[in-house]
Amino acid sequence: MTETTIKGVTRRRLLKTTAFAGAGLLAAPSILRAADNEIVIGCAGSHTAWMEAVVAPHMKATLGADILFEGTKSTVNLEKMASNRDAPYLSVVQMDDPVMIIAVEEGLLTPATPELVPNMVDLRPDAVHMDGMWCNYVQPWAGVAYNTDFLPGGVPNWNALWAPEAKEKLIIPGLRNTEGMWTLFMAAHLATGKPMAEAQYEIDAAFDKLAQLKPNVLTTYSVMSQAFNLLEQGEITMLSGNFSSYALPRKAQGVPVDLAAPAEGIFAMPSGICLVKGGPNPELAAAYVNEMLGPELQAAVAEFSASVPANTTVKAGAIIPEGVPIHAPDWAFVSKNRADWIDRFDKLMAA
Amino acid sequence: MNAENRIALLAAPGLLYLAALYALPLALLLTESLRDAEGALSLAAYVEFFADPFNRGVLWRTLRVAALTTLLALALAYPTALALSRARGWAQTAILVAMVLPLSVGVIVKAFAWSILFRANGAINGALMGLGVIDAPIRMLFTETALIIGAANVFLPFMVLPIYAVMRQLSPALPEAAATLGAGPFFRFFRVTLPLTLPGVIAGAAFTFSLSVSMYVIPSLIVGERQQTLSMLIARSFLFLRDEQLGATISAILLLIAIAVVLGSSWLAARVTGGRP
Repeated sequence: MTETTIKGVTRRRLLKTTAFAGAGLLAAPSILRAADNEIVIGCAGSHTAWMEAVVAPHMKATLGADILFEGTKSTVNLEKMASNRDAPYLSVVQMDDPVMIIAVEEGLLTPATPELVPNMVDLRPDAVHMDGMWCNYVQPWAGVAYNTDFLPGGVPNWNALWAPEAKEKLIIPGLRNTEGMWTLFMAAHLATGKPMAEAQYEIDAAFDKLAQLKPNVLTTYSVMSQAFNLLEQGEITMLSGNFSSYALPRKAQGVPVDLAAPAEGIFAMPSGICLVKGGPNPELAAAYVNEMLGPELQAAVAEFSASVPANTTVKAGAIIPEGVPIHAPDWAFVSKNRADWIDRFDKLMAA
Repeated sequence: MNAENRIALLAAPGLLYLAALYALPLALLLTESLRDAEGALSLAAYVEFFADPFNRGVLWRTLRVAALTTLLALALAYPTALALSRARGWAQTAILVAMVLPLSVGVIVKAFAWSILFRANGAINGALMGLGVIDAPIRMLFTETALIIGAANVFLPFMVLPIYAVMRQLSPALPEAAATLGAGPFFRFFRVTLPLTLPGVIAGAAFTFSLSVSMYVIPSLIVGERQQTLSMLIARSFLFLRDEQLGATISAILLLIAIAVVLGSSWLAARVTGGRP
């Protein structure tokens, strides 16, 4: 039998190389297995700036931990947890309250307790949900972001979104994003004239009012950064439902944008943090959450992201606009109906 | 086992890889789409999909955009490939580099660049206004036209290279022979050059159409969510509606389109070449 060769590569050498490559491939899971000082955090894409600038260095300094972030939408984080239920790779997830409710219902979270997370005792009582299944860590406020070059008078009320002069000058978030709910609920309030506490359940009226908004909507978004860039460039003049942790830092950097608190009210963004059930490195995960709720990091994150801290010992962060109501919706109602609303919204807004 | 069969075994790792990471997941998706609520075999998910006018609209838009993108790419690619096949030396190198280099730039970067160009204060509106073609900026961003132009640009190399590969094998003696027999330039092109390069056109069109029909990032950035495509519907189903069966059904429909493109192009190529390899 002749030895088959390809330009000097013998069959034996080829087999040997293949065997080593195969062994390397099989060993890869253990090579890639997370180290003891490393955890993966799911968070919002819009949080990446302060997660990298503030949180990661703090965790390295205090816990000696390497933090890997996966910034995306809350609903995508939920799907990641659900899809990897049997072998979670996320240890902690930071996402919005309505999605937290679904995660609890699907048994994806494990509660934080003051024994595991001592800084919980300093939180506002309303920042701890469902017996510690998740906590709000900071809360930005949401209104209407606008380009100050084109709208020097700001956005005095939410009706400005429906004004004829706003034709194709407005972008609104889709309902896949939690901030998309603000335009929906405000549409219900404007359509019915009822107080927000009642109007939030008038969803048919809200969608009818949103239909009237279509001529003004240039597009809807699920990735906010591109929409915000269009606002900064003056392609649009208003970005509905935007929040202080994104708009105000850009304003501070000298970009011609601001965040309006219209007369009908603003909304509290429901930013939560939770421990993933069965997630890797549970002790480090609990320590991470404890640091996130501690006074030092609370002050730093609140200051960086123009948000309201949840820790009552911290005096820093955003100044809440005065003289306008702050609305907090019924998140259980939202999470129960969200998929239907997303479907209805997409069909309504289709060009 | 004879030598030829032993050599054929070299394809085994690749085939196993494709079977495990491509064929098996696709089979699982297909199975998921063919079940009803009780788990029995059913076409209910497909009936439901096609009963919804929104879904039909998205399917039609996806096919229309893919077809128009392919046509525009072909219109741009054919002369480019012709020039490339005729060029020599540095000119050929320059055209090749211009074709291949953009492939190293991520599709997100290219799509985002187009979204900047299409803005009201972007370079295209600026140029048109500067030339006096328009008085005020026209809206291009978030339009289907913008998507087709952007996609054709991104996929252009996939149309040019197959056509070029065929053209460079075309003997220059053939059009010359036609010329000596009195054929004019148009006759030579339509009766000699074009028919002989059709296999490249078919391959390029199949590539470009397949890429266009399944693109996700480009429409997401250029037309947004008010003009969804099938790929965007798949992501929406799995990630936001959490409706795996709907996602699997749309994935299967997209797969069927891809299979139809492959089979159709193979059939067409066989007809054009008369079965020659």
